[in-house]
Amino acid sequence: MALRVTPSMMHMQLTRNLTRNLTQMQELQNQVTTGRKINKASDDPVGITYSLRYRTELASNEQYQKNVDSALSWLDFNDTVLDQAGQVLHRVKDLVVQGSNGTNPQVALDSIRDEISQLKNQLLDISNSKVNGKYVFNGQTFDKMPYDPNTPNFDPKTVVTDTGEISYAVGVGVTLPINLTGNQVFGAVGETDNVFAVLDNIMAGLTAGSQGAVSAQIGNIESRMDKILNARSEVGARVNRVELMQNRLQDLELNLTDMKSKTEDADFEKLLIESKVNESIYQASLSVGAKVISPTLVDFLR
Amino acid sequence: MRSTFHTLETTKRSLFTQQAAINTVGHNIANANTEGYSRQRVTMVASRPIEAFGMNRSTAPGQLGTGVEFTAISRIRTAFLDDQFRNQAKYVGNWSVQTDTLSKLEAIVNEPSDSGIRTVMDKFYQAWSDLSKDPENVTGRKIVRETAVALTDSFNQISKQLTDLNADLTTNIEVKATQANTMLNTIASLNAEIRKIEALGDHANDLRDQRDLLTDQLSQIVNVQVVEQADGYSISMGGTNLVEGDVVTELSSASLTAAFQSGDLNNGEVYGMFVARDVYVADYRRQLDTMANTLANGDIQITLPAGSVKPGTTTPITAPETITVKGINGLHKLGYTLEEPATTGLDFFTFKAGENGITAASIQLNPIISADTNKIASSMRTTTANGVTSVVKGNNTLALIMSELKDTPFKFDQTATGNGITEATIGNFYNSMVGSLGVQSQEAYRQYQNSVAQTELVDSNRQSVSGVSLDEEMSDLIKYQHAYSAAARVMTTFDQMLEKLINGTGVVGR
Repeated sequence: MALRVTPSMMHMQLTRNLTRNLTQMQELQNQVTTGRKINKASDDPVGITYSLRYRTELASNEQYQKNVDSALSWLDFNDTVLDQAGQVLHRVKDLVVQGSNGTNPQVALDSIRDEISQLKNQLLDISNSKVNGKYVFNGQTFDKMPYDPNTPNFDPKTVVTDTGEISYAVGVGVTLPINLTGNQVFGAVGETDNVFAVLDNIMAGLTAGSQGAVSAQIGNIESRMDKILNARSEVGARVNRVELMQNRLQDLELNLTDMKSKTEDADFEKLLIESKVNESIYQASLSVGAKVISPTLVDFLR
Repeated sequence: MRSTFHTLETTKRSLFTQQAAINTVGHNIANANTEGYSRQRVTMVASRPIEAFGMNRSTAPGQLGTGVEFTAISRIRTAFLDDQFRNQAKYVGNWSVQTDTLSKLEAIVNEPSDSGIRTVMDKFYQAWSDLSKDPENVTGRKIVRETAVALTDSFNQISKQLTDLNADLTTNIEVKATQANTMLNTIASLNAEIRKIEALGDHANDLRDQRDLLTDQLSQIVNVQVVEQADGYSISMGGTNLVEGDVVTELSSASLTAAFQSGDLNNGEVYGMFVARDVYVADYRRQLDTMANTLANGDIQITLPAGSVKPGTTTPITAPETITVKGINGLHKLGYTLEEPATTGLDFFTFKAGENGITAASIQLNPIISADTNKIASSMRTTTANGVTSVVKGNNTLALIMSELKDTPFKFDQTATGNGITEATIGNFYNSMVGSLGVQSQEAYRQYQNSVAQTELVDSNRQSVSGVSLDEEMSDLIKYQHAYSAAARVMTTFDQMLEKLINGTGVVGR
């Protein structure tokens, strides 16, 4: 059938097409202004599930990075403290070597003893080190002082520190213990090279003027120094591991950001071209519409 | 035998007929933009010539024409296209409502964004992770509390928005029922009027246009079958009669609900509202309720590290132990709070007074915990000295497990959701919910666009048949005007002939 075309059909069609063009323009406009091609679930139902997952993973990645930073600061602090303890023991060793020299008068031995007593106090201070208000050498009971001089009959060589591990989550399903206990570092109760027992023995030997007793402790001091050194290298290894984790998290963040952006970010060049094209189509439809709509036979009849 | 004034009579008829045609052209032009108007046409027929056959007819040769008369003014319209249009319009109504509702749901869920449930969920887990680094710390607990409140608030708010949407749709169904009733009543009274007029043999063109327009509008609201009978349109919705002659069966939200359930109502705006309300909104509410309840009470498998002390015991376990607990609540009850002596945690999430069970609407942070953040459990280790069991505050086992729940699969009660997810992390459950909402919304919009395109096509065809074309009307106008002028010229000519006959004859000898 030959289709009659009436002005109202043309009007309808024009309105429809203009609306369609405008809708498209609005959609493009929205994408340009938000910078995202997914602005609601229906824009890309598959993409949005990815986009949500990337966002969640980025959030947890950010958290892990924060945890890694905290772990590093704790480990660095441990390292510093162990370094200090090592230096104290070096000094002790020097003094012991000096004291086991047979030519010292008792006065000299007494002053050595006094210095060692000072060094013992320094070690006690070190063993009670705190980071962020936490005692680092007391396991999970870091709210309590491990070597607390105020306990009745306080004797540091009988102190048992808490063995609980302090673990930080540094990745999905990856927790890392970051603490060393006082007993690991300074020696457990009854260990021959428990640093406080050794110092007490040295001081007793110095007081008694017994060089043999003093020099007998050199081996113990050296073995304790070795253990502290081992603890330091243990900390160093953990630092390496955490730093590796940190790098991995940073890479992951980069990847996730990249994938998220691929999934949900608008492609600006393409968008700008599209909106330009759309604009010119809209202009064209407007001008054609203006030409088409007005004339009827009425305009030409005199 | 013809009369003297026969030609006068003939031309007079012509004048009248052309005038009627010109008038109809005017009527068409006037209604060029009237919605639902179909163009009208004057049917002209040559009137009965003389002589009629019979015994006493004159012997004059030929049938003498007596001019023209119009037998009808009819509208040009195709019923078939009307039926097509009404069949398509119901889809437009249905899908436009569904699209609209689904995009509202998208706005309620509000993803991707930095303020949706996903974000507060992430923050909640982050707060636990932060707490795991400072388990003895009060600040960390306060942040856990705030994020938990933000999470429950988000659930509550979305649930409230769903309730509002539900109420809006219910109200809209009533509004639409009223609207439809107005139309039905008008159609019934038009039926009666048209019947009266057409009994006298005329076409009630303009009234029929009005009736058709109302029927078109009605067909977008509910699915209707229209049958034209002797007493007018009888309109039914499935097996329900709505209009029969001038008798109306009014719709109400109750009758519409019954029709929806029986399947009589299966398309149109109202159907779309029912589907939106009872399928989409109800379904997403169910999913959110399940999600909230599963978060609090769903079965999860967790591994307690060695050294943890289970509630009710005092000796630490020596090897890691994997156990199943009931969601965050069950997990929280395994741990110890900051209180002395060691106290196990309470339910972390509870439901508001007057509700039964945790839903998206009723979930809240346990008010006891909310009032005292020391009651947030983060430790799983106690020590016993002198018969007093006290908590090891520095133990962060529970906080760690909590923060790792983001990657822990929860057991979902599939009968409640029906989406086939039995075990998933809360995040994945939520993501798939948002994804399926996206699919449904996209689908509804596509259907809507298709139905609109179809309707527009049919409407275009209808316009092509019934629409007023000004060009056509103008050329008709010229045609009729010339015909009128010519008829008037014939009359003038005949007038002069009579003048000649009357005044110019019988003047011999003047």
